[in-house]
Amino acid sequence: MNQDLIIGIAGAGGDGVISAGESLITAAALEGYHGIMTKSFGSQIRGGEASCRLRLATQTVLNPNGPLDVAVALNWEDFRRFGNELPVEAATVVIYESATGVAPDKLPLEGVAPATVFSVPIAEMAQQNAGTDKAKNIVITGLLAGWFGIGRESMLAGIRKKFAKKGAAVVEGNVRAFQAGLDFAQSHPLKQDRRLASPRGGRDAKLLADGNDMCGAAALFAGCTFFSGYPITPSTEIMQFLDREIWKYGGTLMQAEDEIAGIGAAVGASFAGKKAMTATSGPGMSLKTEILGLASIAELPLVCVNVQRGGPSTGIPTKAEQSDLFQAAFSAHGDCLRPILAPTSVGDVFSTTVEAFNLAEYYQTPVIVLSDQEIAQRKETVEPIDTSKFQLIERRRPTEAELANYTRFKVTESGISPLSNPGMPGGNYLASGIEHNEVGRPTANGEMHARMNDKRFRKFNSLKNRRDLFVVDGDPEAPLGLVSWGSVAGVAREALRLAQAEGLRVKLLVPKLLYPVVEPVYQDFFASVRRGLFVEQSFQGQLYRLVRMYVDCPASVTTVAKSGSNPIQPAEVLERLRALQRSNGHQHLEPVAD
Amino acid sequence: MPVLEPSAACAPRFQPGDFKSDLKPIWCPGCGDFGVVTALTRALSAIGRPPHEIAFVSGIGCSSRIPGYTTAYGFNTVHGRALPIAQGIKLANPDLLVLVASGDGDGFSIGGGHVAHVIRRNIDLTYIVMDNQIYGLTKGQLSPTSRRGRKTVTSSFGSLEDPVNPLLYVMGYGVSFVAQGTPADMAGLARLIEEGIRFPGFAFINVQSPCVTYGLEEQQLKAQKAKMQSLESIGHDPADRARATELAREYGSKLYTGVLYRNPTPPPTYGQGVTERQEALKSQAVPRQELLKCFLPGN
Repeated sequence: MNQDLIIGIAGAGGDGVISAGESLITAAALEGYHGIMTKSFGSQIRGGEASCRLRLATQTVLNPNGPLDVAVALNWEDFRRFGNELPVEAATVVIYESATGVAPDKLPLEGVAPATVFSVPIAEMAQQNAGTDKAKNIVITGLLAGWFGIGRESMLAGIRKKFAKKGAAVVEGNVRAFQAGLDFAQSHPLKQDRRLASPRGGRDAKLLADGNDMCGAAALFAGCTFFSGYPITPSTEIMQFLDREIWKYGGTLMQAEDEIAGIGAAVGASFAGKKAMTATSGPGMSLKTEILGLASIAELPLVCVNVQRGGPSTGIPTKAEQSDLFQAAFSAHGDCLRPILAPTSVGDVFSTTVEAFNLAEYYQTPVIVLSDQEIAQRKETVEPIDTSKFQLIERRRPTEAELANYTRFKVTESGISPLSNPGMPGGNYLASGIEHNEVGRPTANGEMHARMNDKRFRKFNSLKNRRDLFVVDGDPEAPLGLVSWGSVAGVAREALRLAQAEGLRVKLLVPKLLYPVVEPVYQDFFASVRRGLFVEQSFQGQLYRLVRMYVDCPASVTTVAKSGSNPIQPAEVLERLRALQRSNGHQHLEPVAD
Repeated sequence: MPVLEPSAACAPRFQPGDFKSDLKPIWCPGCGDFGVVTALTRALSAIGRPPHEIAFVSGIGCSSRIPGYTTAYGFNTVHGRALPIAQGIKLANPDLLVLVASGDGDGFSIGGGHVAHVIRRNIDLTYIVMDNQIYGLTKGQLSPTSRRGRKTVTSSFGSLEDPVNPLLYVMGYGVSFVAQGTPADMAGLARLIEEGIRFPGFAFINVQSPCVTYGLEEQQLKAQKAKMQSLESIGHDPADRARATELAREYGSKLYTGVLYRNPTPPPTYGQGVTERQEALKSQAVPRQELLKCFLPGN
């Protein structure tokens, strides 16, 4: 039996590849399994090739990566287009459409000869049982349910629900197509039992969501009642989710004419007293930066989500990368600081987004959430979240006494001043992008500028005490250290487990607060570390370089840093850790050159 | 609508002076913008909303200093972006009276792209552009409304461009209210601003506000007084869109004052649509603690 199963399915657009994957992960979630599903497409808007990767397991799935246990090819041309996204090995069970005419011993795969290969008349079985080619995906789910024991009952229930509107004949046709897949699998048993074992945490259903929808839901939970933004891949689903929901909660959404208007209207709504959000990706973030500066100096709360993709410029819009960290930290002009948070999984998007609203309100500042395409668009099972544990923070509003002699930018000990909003009698003030004194009047006085800069930085001092925004895992005294963030943290965590299983003394630091760099957290972490790796999906290794601006990392700490669209495999991180372990003590490692 | 209708029976709740702050303007003595403050505070007095219910948004430029010279909630933002920020304010709190001020550079150069969209959304703002055909704050560069051939420090041999026609620009995008005024006719300008505020939807008022330092002689208040012609006096019917478009073409040669076009059947505002949608959908809201149930598989 398997504890973990990685399935890759590829075909032409319209083959129902994605729909098959969604049926499988939905059934798995209903039965208490854990899973992650990622989708990948050719660049065509419709048609073209489509694929999905599905990793199902009996315990938490940390990342979707790894070689395939099962490969399903509706045709080999499209399958091969996905290259290293769908790696086939000798142990992979290969299932393919027999109408392709390819012989089982002549698969067009370079350098691998899988031992278990099934040529299946998928289209024919669909046609015979459901009377249409469109049921190919149903046949595939039947085959996979049969061979790997995934959610047979849930899948049947799903088919009945999905086709209910189309009448009894269509429902029965699809049920027959599913059964045909099951029967085929039963009459062609695998030599080895590779069915998924029972989920370890019981069979209670998991939630199933992608990061963008989760971000929208978290915003609503946090009390966001205004969203404005401009469509940009891969962030648009946040706006699409909120467009379906926000009105129900008395909120408003505006699809702006451009990225600048998107953040502008959100800042306006915040000035008017509402919790507001905008979302974008790298190129849009570039356009928004002037107004980020405005929100910083006017001290207005705002949540700005950047769902990162390959860059610079248009780059690779449909693939994840972690290359906008420098931009997030240093985007706008002038001396200022904006907190940056990064979620590490779909479930974590919830707490990160709620935290972003809390920080924005508390510190009266824009907060940047650095998500990425993978978390944003992958479907993932999520353990039920106890939302009653989350506390929501509101901006510090002026008291009656303070309104009698209102001082909007009062230089307080904490640096945080009372914030009124239009409609509040006595709270009238001038918010401005121009430097101002404590009551908000424009000034060019150097002393006042310095005082205000000090106030605007000082207010974040307490943020540096938030150790809960950092996760440290593994042996606290380990000489080997891993640091990773965002979606790649799951890869590093898996590498940590693999390394620990081999007896390596390793630990892992995952910062969810990326900026400001909290020096003591890194200093404490590195205290025992002789050698280490920052694991991140960017050419430069941006977190590694950002942290080194503030912290003296040990010289032998380097990076596993790869450009987007080149998945980092837990196995290669493990290999690097083994090499570091071998060199430990008798070989001096040079730091990477800048 | 919360805007109070004028009533002859009672004295205004607020005097114009109640809307004037004690901050000393940075403008040059004699600047047309002083007149805009005076006209605006008169209009606000006639409207009768208290200063704390007014949000006054501006961009960057001489004109955009104006919110600070009033007692309203002000937001002096960045260059060209007053309109989007004001739209967010109005949509977030529809009860507010939201005013926007810009100059010709702010409104028709760097921020020109936003004009089409605020018009098609018909968000209930009053947009006052102080059009002085020059960049005054940065000391005399070419503006989008400077006439062809004009010599400035960035057009030493004369401008090679035709000016934007602000009136035609907004008419082209289907604006429902457009007027033009000048501080040379203070009473008239105050009336236009008041009318713009009362108009249920987006209202655009172009103010020929001369720059005393870098402006041409023919643009100064004295010349304007001799030249200006009220649209009423030529018998223009503000409901006549075709005629209004014809008259708008004469921007730059004639100086018409008054309401150029007022849509007798204006489209619904974006805000109205928002309110109706919120009303229609609010019964579908789930308690906050149950929001994540939408992610139960098979839902």
